Amino acid sequence: MSFFARLRGLWRPDQLDADLNEELRSHLAMRSDDNIRAGMSAEEAPYDAQRRFGNATLLKEEARRMDVIQWLETVAQDLRYALRTLSKSPAFSAVAILTLALGIGANTAIFSLVDSVMLRMLPVQHPEELVQVGMLTPNFGNGHRTSYTNPLWEALRDHQDVFSGLFAWGTSPFNLAQGGVVQTARGMYVSGDYFTTLGARPAAGRLLAPDDDQRGCPGVAVLSYGFWQDHFGGAPGAVGSTIPIDGHPFQIVGVSAPGFFGTEVGTAFDVAAPICSEAIVNGKNSSLDQRHNWWFKVMGRPKRGLTLSQISAHLEALSPQVFAATVPMVWNPVQQRSFRTWKFVALPGATGPSFFRGNYALPLEMLMGIAALVLLIACANIASLMLARAAFRRKEISVRLALGASRMRIVRQLLTECVALSLAGAALGVLVARWSSRLLVRYISTQHNRIYLDLSLDARVLGFTAAVAVLTGVLFGVLPAFRSTRISLADTMKGGGADAPGDTRFRSGRWSVAMQVAISLVLVITAALFVRSFTKLTTLDAGFDRDNVLLAHLNFHDVNAADAERTADSSEIVRRIQALPGVTGVSQSVLTPVSGNTWDDMIVVEGGHAPTGQDADVDLNYVAPGYFNTMRTAMLEGRDFNDRDTGTIPTVAVVNQALARKFFPGADPIGKTIRRYATATNLSGPIEIIGVVRDAKYESLREDFPPIAYFPLAQLPQGAERLNIVVRTASQPSLLAPAVEQIIGSVNKSIALDFSTLAQQVDDSIVQERLLATLSGFFGALALLLAMVGLYGVLAYLVLQRQKEIGIRMALGARHGAIIGLVMRDVGVIVVIGTVAGVGIAWLTTRLVQGLLFGLQAHDAGTVAIAVALLAGVAFVASYLPARRATRVDPMTALRHE
Amino acid sequence: MTKGKNDVLQGTLALLVLKTLQHGQMHGYGITLRIQQVSNDFLRVEEGSLYPALHRMEQDGWIAAEWGVTENNRRARYYRLTAAGRKQLAEEEKNWADLTRAVAAVLQLA
Repeated sequence: MSFFARLRGLWRPDQLDADLNEELRSHLAMRSDDNIRAGMSAEEAPYDAQRRFGNATLLKEEARRMDVIQWLETVAQDLRYALRTLSKSPAFSAVAILTLALGIGANTAIFSLVDSVMLRMLPVQHPEELVQVGMLTPNFGNGHRTSYTNPLWEALRDHQDVFSGLFAWGTSPFNLAQGGVVQTARGMYVSGDYFTTLGARPAAGRLLAPDDDQRGCPGVAVLSYGFWQDHFGGAPGAVGSTIPIDGHPFQIVGVSAPGFFGTEVGTAFDVAAPICSEAIVNGKNSSLDQRHNWWFKVMGRPKRGLTLSQISAHLEALSPQVFAATVPMVWNPVQQRSFRTWKFVALPGATGPSFFRGNYALPLEMLMGIAALVLLIACANIASLMLARAAFRRKEISVRLALGASRMRIVRQLLTECVALSLAGAALGVLVARWSSRLLVRYISTQHNRIYLDLSLDARVLGFTAAVAVLTGVLFGVLPAFRSTRISLADTMKGGGADAPGDTRFRSGRWSVAMQVAISLVLVITAALFVRSFTKLTTLDAGFDRDNVLLAHLNFHDVNAADAERTADSSEIVRRIQALPGVTGVSQSVLTPVSGNTWDDMIVVEGGHAPTGQDADVDLNYVAPGYFNTMRTAMLEGRDFNDRDTGTIPTVAVVNQALARKFFPGADPIGKTIRRYATATNLSGPIEIIGVVRDAKYESLREDFPPIAYFPLAQLPQGAERLNIVVRTASQPSLLAPAVEQIIGSVNKSIALDFSTLAQQVDDSIVQERLLATLSGFFGALALLLAMVGLYGVLAYLVLQRQKEIGIRMALGARHGAIIGLVMRDVGVIVVIGTVAGVGIAWLTTRLVQGLLFGLQAHDAGTVAIAVALLAGVAFVASYLPARRATRVDPMTALRHE
Repeated sequence: MTKGKNDVLQGTLALLVLKTLQHGQMHGYGITLRIQQVSNDFLRVEEGSLYPALHRMEQDGWIAAEWGVTENNRRARYYRLTAAGRKQLAEEEKNWADLTRAVAAVLQLA
C-alpha cells in the first residue's frame, strides 16, 4: 500500500503539495480562531499560531521527503543544477569526462572479456544443467583429462544411463577450396545428440539429429548463422546446396540460430558435420576406430534430480569396463596398464570447456586489476580537480549555507555533480569499451586461431559499468564535498578566507598526489616487467633465424598419388623454387618450429646410464637435406642429410646439443646408435647419429631447449601427408608467395596449400605476451600521465597560494634558482613518499605475475630502477613548469594583490 | 518553539495519534488539542512534527484521510484508522505496556 501510495504521488505531485498547504493553512486558522476565542487580539492571534507551529517550509519539506516523487524531484533538481554548473566550466568537465571515459571504458572492456570468457553461461537452453565428463588419470595429478577417442566416446555413450542426452564434439579445420590455396573454415564434428541435447534451433532448414550420425553416413553439414551470412549472403537457397569439405561434397541441411557459436568459449564454428562423416573426409586414415586419436570433448544433460556426485559415482562404477574395452593398442604396456585405471568424473559444464579460458584467465584477472588501479588514479585526479574548483565555489556554497540549506543537502548536491560527471564518463566509456574489446579480440587472433568471444552487452556488463560509475563518482566526490562544505561562513562572506599553505585542503591534495605517484609507479613497474619479458622473447636466440623465411604448408590429402610420386612432386617443386630469383635456400620438413604442432616419441639408447621410459621422450622432426642451412641452425659436428639417405639402410639421424648432452654425456654422439619403438613392444633397428646441430626451440619460445632428433624426410615410413616447404629469401618473404603458389599449382593442382612466414608464426606464438606488454604498457603510460597531471595541478595551485610569499622573497632579492628550489622541494617530498610506497607495494604484488614473465624475476632490480627513473623524470618535468612560472611573478603585482 | 520537557517522546507520537483516532475521525489540529486535553496538559504535541508523522502513517496505510468541513465551517483534512492501523495500534499498545513494565521492574529492583 505504502509503495503504491508513493507511486501514486508520482502522478499528482502538485495535488500533494496543494493538499499539504491547505491542511497547514487550516491548522493555523483553527489555532488562530481558538486564540481569539481565548482573548488574544486579531493581529496577535495568527502570529502566535505561526510561532507555535514553527518553520512551515521546513515542515513541508519534511513531509514531502517521504515521497518518491519528492526524492526524484530533488534528484532532477540537483541534476539540472549540476548540468548547469558543469556546463559553466566546459574545460574542467571535458577533462573529467574524458578521463573517466578512458578509465571506466578500460574497466568495462576488460570486464566484458572477463564476463565473456569466465562468467557467461553457454547460449543454449538451461546451460546450468550441463555436465562435462572428464577423466581422472594418474598423469594429470589433480587436473582432469577431457579429450576422448571415438571408441572411448562410443563406449561411454552406450554404457551410461545417467544422462538424458550425452554428446561429443571435436573441432577440425575444414578446407573449402578444391586444391590450391586453402580456404579454411572452422569445422566441428558433432555427435547426433549434439544439437537436440543443447536445445538449439535452426535459423533455416534443420539441424543434425541422431539419425545423421550413423556409421557409413552420407556427408551432411550445418552452417553457423554468421558463416551463412558471410558466404551465402543469408540466401535460403544455401540449404540443399553442397559445399566441399577437404574436397568431398557435403550437403547443407540447415543453419543454426544467430548467437549460437558452439560449446567452446573462445572459438566459434563455421560448419558442423556428424562424427561419422569424418570417414568420408579422411578415408582410410579415418580416426573413427583409432584408439589413440584424442579429438572429442563430451558433455551431457543429466536426468532430473541427479547431483554431480551421484553422476560421478555412477560414471566411476562403469569406468573399468569402458576403459578396458578401449585400450590404445599402440601404447606401451606400462601406459596401457595405467589407462585401465582411469576413472570418469562429472564436472560442471554451464560455461562450457575452454582452452582459451585456461590460457587467459590469469592475464585477464591481472589486466582487470591494472585497469581498476588506473581508474583509482583517475578518481584521485578528479578529486583534486574538484577540490581546486571548490575553492572557487566557496562563496556560492557559503551563501547557500547562510540561506539555511542543510550541509547534507549541499553535500548531496555536490555528489550529484560528481555522479553526473561519472555517468557521462561511463556512457562514453561504454562506447570506448565496445570498440576496444573488439580490437583486443582481433589483436589476440592469429592466422590459425581466430578467437571468437560473445561481447554483446549483457545485464552483468551494464550493471558492472553502472556500479563502477556510481562508485567512482562517490569516490572522487565525497572528500571534496565534505571539505568544501566545512566553511566558516563569516570569514568567507567577508571575502577573505584564502587558504594558507598549511591548509588541510592542500594537505589532502598532497596525499592524493603521493598516492597517485605510488599507484602509477606500481603500474609502471608492472608494465616494465611485461615489456622487458616480451622484448627478451622477441630478441632471444631461438636457434634458427626467423626473418625472411616463407613457409608453404602443403597438404597432399586430396592428391591421388603413391608415396613415391608424392616425393617426386615435392622435389620437383623444391627444384623450381630454388631457381626463383631472390631465393637463397629451400628445404622441406614435416614440422616447423613453434607452429603448434609437435611430435614426440621415446628413444632407446643402449648401455650406460641413458634415460629410459618417459624420461627418454624426445621431440622429433623429419627434414630434407639443406633444412638446417635454410633455417640457419648451425651444424656443429658431423654432416647434414644428403640425397643418398633414403630407403631403410642405413637409417640415420641428426640430433641437437640437448639430446647429445642428455643421452651421451661426455661422449661424442657421432656414430652412436639410437632405436625407436616400431610397435608398442618391438624396437626398431639401429639408427646411426651422423650429425649434431645447435639447440633450437621446438614447441614454444618460452621452453628450455628440448632434446630433438631429426630424421631424413626420405626415410619417413608412410610418406608425409602434410609437408612444409621452407624458403629463405633475400627480401620480404611474402612477396614470393604468388610465384611459389604458381609453381605448386603447375606441378599438381590438387595440393592444398597455405602460406605464412616464420616470423609471423613466431609472433603468433607469443600473442599473450604481446597483449600483456601492450596493454600494461598502455595502462602504465596512462597512469603516469594522470599522475603527472595531478602533480602539475597541485603544484600550480600551490604556486598560486604562495604568490605573495614568493613576491616578497623576490623583492628581497631571492634568485630564480632559490625560488624554483623552494617550490620543487615540496614536490620532491611528495614524489619520494609516493615512490617509496610504490616500490613497497610493487614488491608485494608483482610476485603474482611471476608465472607470466619470461627470463626475469618479478623483483628484478633493474626493471624497478628503470621505472623509478622514468617516473622521476616525468615528475621533474611536470613540476618544473609551474615552478618556473613562480619565478615570473612580478613582485609588485604579487604584493599589491591583497 | 522551544522544546518543553513534556514534548511527546519521539516514537510515541504514532501510538498517541492512533489511540486518539480509535474513537472516530479527527483533523490534525483536533488531534493536537485532544492529546493535550486527555493528558491534562501534560503532553504537548509538537505541531511541526505532527503533520509529517500523519503523512507517513497515511503512506504506511495505518490511517486514511479525506477532506471535510469543521463545525466552524472550515475545510480540514480528517483522518481515520484503517484496519491495518487498528492492528498497528494493538501492537504498539502492547509494546508500550511491555516497555513500561520492564522499566518499572528495573526501577524497583536495581
